[in-house]
Amino acid sequence: MTLLKRNPKAPQAWQGNLPVTSRYTFGLGGERFFRAIKDEGKILGTHCPKCERTYVPGTIFCERCLGKLDEWVDVGTTGNVHTFTLLYENYDGSPREEPEIIAFVSFGDGGIVHRLGEVDAEEVEIGMEVEIVFKPQSEREGSILDIAHFRPII
Amino acid sequence: MNERVAIVGVGWAGFRPATPELSYKELMYDAAVRAYTDAGVNPRRDVESFVTVAEDFHEGVSIFDEYVPDQLGAALKSMQTICGDGLHGLATAYMLVRTGQFDIVAVEGHSKASNLLTKDEVTAYAQDPVLNRPLRFNTHFVAGMEMNRYLYETGTTRAQCAAVVVKNRFNALANPSAAYGADLALEDVLSGPMLSTPLGRREVADHADGAITMVLASEQAAQHLTDIPIWIEGVGWCNDSPSLESRPWGQALYTTQAAQMAYRQARINNPLQVIDFAEVDDIYAYKELQTLEALGFFRPGEAGELTADGFTTPAGELPVNVSGGSLGWGHLFEATGLARALEVVLQLRGEAGVRQLEDVEVGLVQSWRGIPTTSGAVAILSN
Ligand SMILES: [Zn+2]
Repeated sequence: MTLLKRNPKAPQAWQGNLPVTSRYTFGLGGERFFRAIKDEGKILGTHCPKCERTYVPGTIFCERCLGKLDEWVDVGTTGNVHTFTLLYENYDGSPREEPEIIAFVSFGDGGIVHRLGEVDAEEVEIGMEVEIVFKPQSEREGSILDIAHFRPII
Repeated sequence: MNERVAIVGVGWAGFRPATPELSYKELMYDAAVRAYTDAGVNPRRDVESFVTVAEDFHEGVSIFDEYVPDQLGAALKSMQTICGDGLHGLATAYMLVRTGQFDIVAVEGHSKASNLLTKDEVTAYAQDPVLNRPLRFNTHFVAGMEMNRYLYETGTTRAQCAAVVVKNRFNALANPSAAYGADLALEDVLSGPMLSTPLGRREVADHADGAITMVLASEQAAQHLTDIPIWIEGVGWCNDSPSLESRPWGQALYTTQAAQMAYRQARINNPLQVIDFAEVDDIYAYKELQTLEALGFFRPGEAGELTADGFTTPAGELPVNVSGGSLGWGHLFEATGLARALEVVLQLRGEAGVRQLEDVEVGLVQSWRGIPTTSGAVAILSN
């Protein structure tokens, strides 16, 4: 049936929605990773001696050899911008006047995705050295939001 | 075992930006009946098993497989819904026949994207809930960051990515099923608003509604059903590590692996020599270039220049997305891979109308499951 043949008085559609709320347990690896951020302002990875790879955020298994990992390492709080973007849409698809500056910063053989702050958008480039700015310890809750943003090292 | 498996029937409905007059079941029914008619099979009697691809959050219901059998003729039959792209569905249907368990199997994919009113939030719900989602970034940022790294590593330019948009949307003008055909200049694409730098708004496929069904058969069954069976010579699929923290940002290794699996089966050593044309991912324009390199057609950094030079136009040496691709007919959610396969089938049958390519014997289909995934599949078809 084409649109033209359709009865304009017919009911058209019903709308429905669903509240979805879940608990996401961090697990053994995630708990250790986020506790180090919260309590010590440290980024921890785990090292696989067999594959010579350091996973950041730390995990309790190596995705390459599937071996169990228990060698936790402090990878510091400075890294390089591996890639970045200026994002002009909000979470729900609505447009933004000012873009979010987002970067993936390398730590070990992994890294962290977060906002880049205290920087002009035009100055951001791949390879740029940045550091993590943590929220004050009293405000940290043990989540990725305990990191305020990255900022360039001047 | 059934050594060879053929596609013996195709049917589709759409593709249009919206289908307000139809329910998703009616859309699926339309495509399915056309495919069964095309194959000359009675779905209730002849089709032994059914595969559909769907994602509950896109459908707006939980346990979507419960909503499938009736409109496909699959009630009281063997059927399954898999959570993947349409090309994963095609691979599954292929295996059901190849094992010898069944001789005739139908595979279906659909999109009622116009009914999903919170697409961005649903896509964002696929982000890692602990590491990424709390930041509340629109998921397009994943494509922006991937494109940025891809351009950086290969020297590909924004203008070369825009050339993909110009080509595919122009190709779509010759495809009556494509909703987004347009005659654009490079400047029209490049001057559009930014979405997630270096990705522009006009380098992203808009959504569309549609449904596609294909009927697959063993060689023996195919001989009775059609004079132009389209043979599935090889299939492959692969997922990379999905996390944003451990994926390679510049490359689509999952596509390379999926292609190698399909090439091995189809005994293809030099894809550019053997394959006449391809329908590949172009949900974001840069993906077409990255994918062509991942498939081994070109070396990293070559696809952009060759595309700008016309190598991949319908008259070029390797026509790519003659159908118009996702940029031309719209993003069809999980049906995307089947839409790409549909074009390859029509071309190999000589039924592609005004956009028919001459003397084509082998076509490649590749599909990606979209942001934020690292999931791809490849199929090689021949006539
Ligand atoms: Zn290892």
